[in-house]
Amino acid sequence: MLRKNIKLKVVFTVLLTALFYLQSAAQQGWDVPADKKVKNSYIKFDAASAKEGEAIYTKNCLSCHGNPTKDNSMKSLKPVPPDLSGAKTQQLTDGELFYILNTGRGLMPSFSNVLSESDRWKTIAYMRSFNSSYVQVLSKTDPTKSKLVKINMDYDSLKSVVRVHVTAAEKNGVVVLKNAEVTLFAARYFGRLQVDKTMRTDNNGMATFGFNKTLPGDKQGYVNMIVKVNDDNYGEIESQSKLKIGVPTDKPSLTEKRAIWNVLAKAPIWLIVLYTTGVLVFGAFLLFILYSLFRIKKSGKN
Amino acid sequence: MLGQSTTDKITSDLLRPIRLTKGFMAWMGFLGVSLVVCLGAYVIQLKDGLVVTGLGDYVSWGMYISNFVFFVATSLIGMLISAVLGLSGAKWASPLARIAEIIALAFAAVAGLVIVSDMGHPERLLNVFIHGRIQSPILWDVTVVTIYVLISALFLYIPLIPDLKICHDKLDKLPPFARNIYKVLSLNWTGSHEQEKIVKQLTRAIAIFIIPVALAIHTVTSWLFASTSRVGWDSTIFGPYFVTGAFVSGSAAVIIAMYFYRKNYKLEDYITLSHFDKMGKLLVLVSLVYLYFNLNEYMVPAYKMKKFDAIHIQSLFAGTHALMFWSIQIFGLVLPIILLVFNKMRKPLPMLIIASFVLVGAWFKRYIIVVPTQEHPFLPIQNVPLNFKVYSPTLIETLVTIAPFILVLLIITILSKVIPIVSIHETIEELEQKNK
Repeated sequence: MLRKNIKLKVVFTVLLTALFYLQSAAQQGWDVPADKKVKNSYIKFDAASAKEGEAIYTKNCLSCHGNPTKDNSMKSLKPVPPDLSGAKTQQLTDGELFYILNTGRGLMPSFSNVLSESDRWKTIAYMRSFNSSYVQVLSKTDPTKSKLVKINMDYDSLKSVVRVHVTAAEKNGVVVLKNAEVTLFAARYFGRLQVDKTMRTDNNGMATFGFNKTLPGDKQGYVNMIVKVNDDNYGEIESQSKLKIGVPTDKPSLTEKRAIWNVLAKAPIWLIVLYTTGVLVFGAFLLFILYSLFRIKKSGKN
Repeated sequence: MLGQSTTDKITSDLLRPIRLTKGFMAWMGFLGVSLVVCLGAYVIQLKDGLVVTGLGDYVSWGMYISNFVFFVATSLIGMLISAVLGLSGAKWASPLARIAEIIALAFAAVAGLVIVSDMGHPERLLNVFIHGRIQSPILWDVTVVTIYVLISALFLYIPLIPDLKICHDKLDKLPPFARNIYKVLSLNWTGSHEQEKIVKQLTRAIAIFIIPVALAIHTVTSWLFASTSRVGWDSTIFGPYFVTGAFVSGSAAVIIAMYFYRKNYKLEDYITLSHFDKMGKLLVLVSLVYLYFNLNEYMVPAYKMKKFDAIHIQSLFAGTHALMFWSIQIFGLVLPIILLVFNKMRKPLPMLIIASFVLVGAWFKRYIIVVPTQEHPFLPIQNVPLNFKVYSPTLIETLVTIAPFILVLLIITILSKVIPIVSIHETIEELEQKNK
């Protein structure tokens, strides 16, 4: 009986272990869509872009991935973040690296809304600088084309939606950008708050976002809104505008009035009075003592 | 009036220690060498920074700050013995007043240096004065400690003026420059009625003034902790808890000093068995009060066991700090109280041993107040190295912690070599009053 039990346990353990490995093996590969795989950078990977990329890398990637070639990534994380100068990373295409950087997975965060497209490419330029056999294939996208794009944003208070209209001023007239990826953000104290989902423009170049009216704005109710458009032809374009869209909020800053947590110039009056009185009383007392000592000395002379 | 012979005997008895002896030179040599070793450790810390210590992101206040609290605490004894007992008319304590004042001055003066040892960049101390905010307890602490050092120095100096004159007159074997210093410091003392009156008045005024200042220094020191919302520090009774604890360590320090002065300076007629008896009783009293505050401080959170309090209390009562915690409470507080209740124990040698236990216990007690709290940070951080969470002091840190003790011993040794440690003037005066 006992032996049978042990056998069963062994079978279970083997099965579970196998399942675990299968699962982690599935996790190993990044399922990069074919069209993203072949995407290339419009920024040339040279010493200058790699240097800019290094600064971005140090700020955003270093804490987990460590210094490239030094093999000092954070080993306590599961899965262990790879050293990005390694062969496993370098054999990926630029498009795959870009996709991974954009989407993230598990502990690896998505950087598509944190870094601009050019910054993301520069980070890859830095990673590629450790690979001497790498030859870049430049994208045919013309980065200057993004300057032609015009983004309009307005708020429909009746329907509680924000409409974003994307057009491009080509030489032969204005064209609308169809099926372009549009993301809407509200600027907050720290970073950006995405509004609704990421949308695609319709045939009129229009994307519509549902908007929650409860978002706090400034004193008049203005909120800084940011639109990010990603188009295959025109690249990545960002536009900001202030919309009167939020709840008017007038909260005096915590450092406006005198307070215990404020700077010295804004210390509470009672504290200034108490402290100064204490020091002055001591000063007066000290003077009294010194004067008395002087009296002792003078009296001895006579 | 006293006979001339009695006055002469008192004067010569109390002035006798003021001369260079072989024992003194050997003791100073030992202190000097030890200080050099410890300063060497400090130089390493200065060069490489606080990385040479066990301090880290979590436990950033370790032995140095525990040491600071201990030094401030011990310095409070000057106020208790000279001011409180003096003003309440407890005449028996007056021969101990100067010993208490020397201890107070030495510990208070060095306490400021202890704080500096906790700074990786000591020159940044100036920032407290340049950018200090009066909302910060740290600024209050710097202010009151400075005031206390000055007041303590005056409290030592003013009743000393008549004795300085005696030193100048009687110590004719001293080199002229030394006698001149006594002369200058004795401010033309003639013992006239007016001078006597001024000194009496000043001594009394300082005795009154020093009480709130002394209470303030240790209360503010406790506020450095209590003004945060951290478990173990977030307490409303921290002020009195620290002050009563201070009297315990101060009384123990005075008893130890009394023992050595009496023995080495042959002052059996001045620091008598009765003084030990009374100091023993005083130590029992202040220890009982402190025990009562301990009961409050630990019993109340331990009864409620709020989530984070529970973790802290657990680590003190039964966890990593349990051995230290219970040793302090038992050997540093409960057993001394019980033992000192017996007459036999209130004799010089047993009291020296008991007071040493109390003093060592008092030091570790500060450690138990300062360190364990920081091992449970509020902000959870992932993948924290173990040495962040468990504080273990390094050798260099230990040496730098010992340095202030050597400094205190140096100050006490030198002061008690240049001034009579029992007031000659007052001893004679009191005898005269008794004989009237």
